[in-house]
Amino acid sequence: MLVLRGVLAVAMILCGLAILARMLMTVAAGFAVLPGIVLAAAMIALGAHRISLILRARRPV
Amino acid sequence: MSAAKSKSPEPELRRTVTPWGSFAWGYSDVGADIFVGLGLVLAWAAGASNVAFLFAGVVYVCIGLAYTELASTYPVAGGGQYFVMRGLGDLFGFIAGWAVLLDFTIDVTLFSWSSVDYTSQLLPALVNSIHPWLHFIVVLGLVLGLCLLNMMGVRESTAFNGFVSALDVLSETLILCLGFLFAFRPELLIHTMQFSWPAPYQLMLGTSLAIVSFVGLESISQAAQETQRPASIIPRTSVALILTILIFALAYSNLALGLHPWHPITGPNGHPMQFWQIFPHNADNQGKAVALLAEQVPYYGAFAALYVPVLGAVLLLISSNSGVFGSSRIAYAMSTANLLPALFQRVHARYRTPVISIVFFSSIAVIELIFAALPALFPSASALYSRFFHGENGLEFLADLYAFGAATSYSFVFLGLIALRLRDPLSPRKFKIPLNIPMRVAGERVDFPVIAVIGFIGIFSILLFTLRTHALGRIFGPTWLVLGVILYLLYRHHRRLPLLRSQRRHWRTDQIDILRRAGELELMDEYIANLKASDARRAKQT
Repeated sequence: MLVLRGVLAVAMILCGLAILARMLMTVAAGFAVLPGIVLAAAMIALGAHRISLILRARRPV
Repeated sequence: MSAAKSKSPEPELRRTVTPWGSFAWGYSDVGADIFVGLGLVLAWAAGASNVAFLFAGVVYVCIGLAYTELASTYPVAGGGQYFVMRGLGDLFGFIAGWAVLLDFTIDVTLFSWSSVDYTSQLLPALVNSIHPWLHFIVVLGLVLGLCLLNMMGVRESTAFNGFVSALDVLSETLILCLGFLFAFRPELLIHTMQFSWPAPYQLMLGTSLAIVSFVGLESISQAAQETQRPASIIPRTSVALILTILIFALAYSNLALGLHPWHPITGPNGHPMQFWQIFPHNADNQGKAVALLAEQVPYYGAFAALYVPVLGAVLLLISSNSGVFGSSRIAYAMSTANLLPALFQRVHARYRTPVISIVFFSSIAVIELIFAALPALFPSASALYSRFFHGENGLEFLADLYAFGAATSYSFVFLGLIALRLRDPLSPRKFKIPLNIPMRVAGERVDFPVIAVIGFIGIFSILLFTLRTHALGRIFGPTWLVLGVILYLLYRHHRRLPLLRSQRRHWRTDQIDILRRAGELELMDEYIANLKASDARRAKQT
């Protein structure tokens, strides 16, 4: 189960990075890309948060 | 609230909620909001809907972090009202709690209303504009039914919440992934934002409505009091909840603005329309935006059209039920703190539920429903609303008040957080909002929360937007608060309690008791050690 959660978290980070890259490519559109950048940042943050929880759960007491 | 009272053999809530249960509890409450908020924001903020969600979302993240810190530090019943009362005193605690109560009563009506709107996608007989009386009767039936179930103590289980939440997260993720893969056109999004940017007034209105998609963070504190070791569990689940809701809101709004519909949409004159254009001046569509969006996802939309309305209706009904349950619980907590008459503590002999609270706040929900439904039910009322209230429809009326209540209570919660950081620096905070300025106040080291100031400015500006742009909200919202304060003053006068000042309380013994009950024994020891060290320091100074 932890492995599956880990895969989902990594997938979320990758999706976030893909959106971020796509937004940065169209940065010429100006203000319009801002919500997309925040969306990407939130996805990366959630993925990282999930991975940190998984790592904490796997750490021996 | 005194230590003596807390040691009485009163039954207390079992702390059995797991981390997933805690997440699901919050998600089934806040997660349903996007089902209501999306259509309303698209209708008003048009090409700037994603920016409206972005602004409200940033404020919401600040609010979420504030609730996470407060709920993990003070895991008690009462939520925002308790934090504000402890930080700013009884009167402000009452105002914050009274605003939360307004939100809970609106929650009951608004979400029952929207639940019926989603159902109408499959049962056209329930469409409000075609059969307003049937729509009204079904919503009224739902509100009364929920009231009855709560009076009998029947509540959906945490397992059911968890199941519906998991199904909804999966479904929304699928809709968004497939929507972005097959129907999203980035150039259309940019075109919409550039050519359909709203006027400042509409943007303010849209932004104030966007906060509707993020209301329900009281559920974090409600979950905290039933979670074992909340100081450890709540920050973990809350951060995930906050980010999940933010991602969905931003993703839906971006997708809606850049969506290339699967089936062409045409206006009354036969001209092709963009997806978001079906929402302005169409209350029926505003109430079921997520179902309409899911339908437009290529291929998957055929399947989604069958189940998304049902899933939306169920999630909204759970959220509506949390309004009935939450209002009675907050009223109970306020009553035990001498902010409301003891009447609201009265428990039914057989069902052991706070019947008077449930009936009272459900009755207010019914009155709000009547006000919301009047323009559709009676054409003469519609003319009156058009003349005095910009012709707001029922859904907008409810959303107005919802935004007002949320912005008011959240503004106080930020102030309460700042006050508690300054006045109670000794309580151990396992989770602390980042970005703090260290300083010394009355000989103690305190961390001044910068994020709380930013959040307060954000939510206060949303409150000003609400008062500026919501014709009904600016009348009914402040009226609700004024009536509440009059009731509070009368009650305090009757009980010979301080009217404007606070009652004397023993926060130190209370806090030890709170941490002991929560099973946070390490934090309790840390708190006692902090108190001893502080007292020793003071004794040395004098």
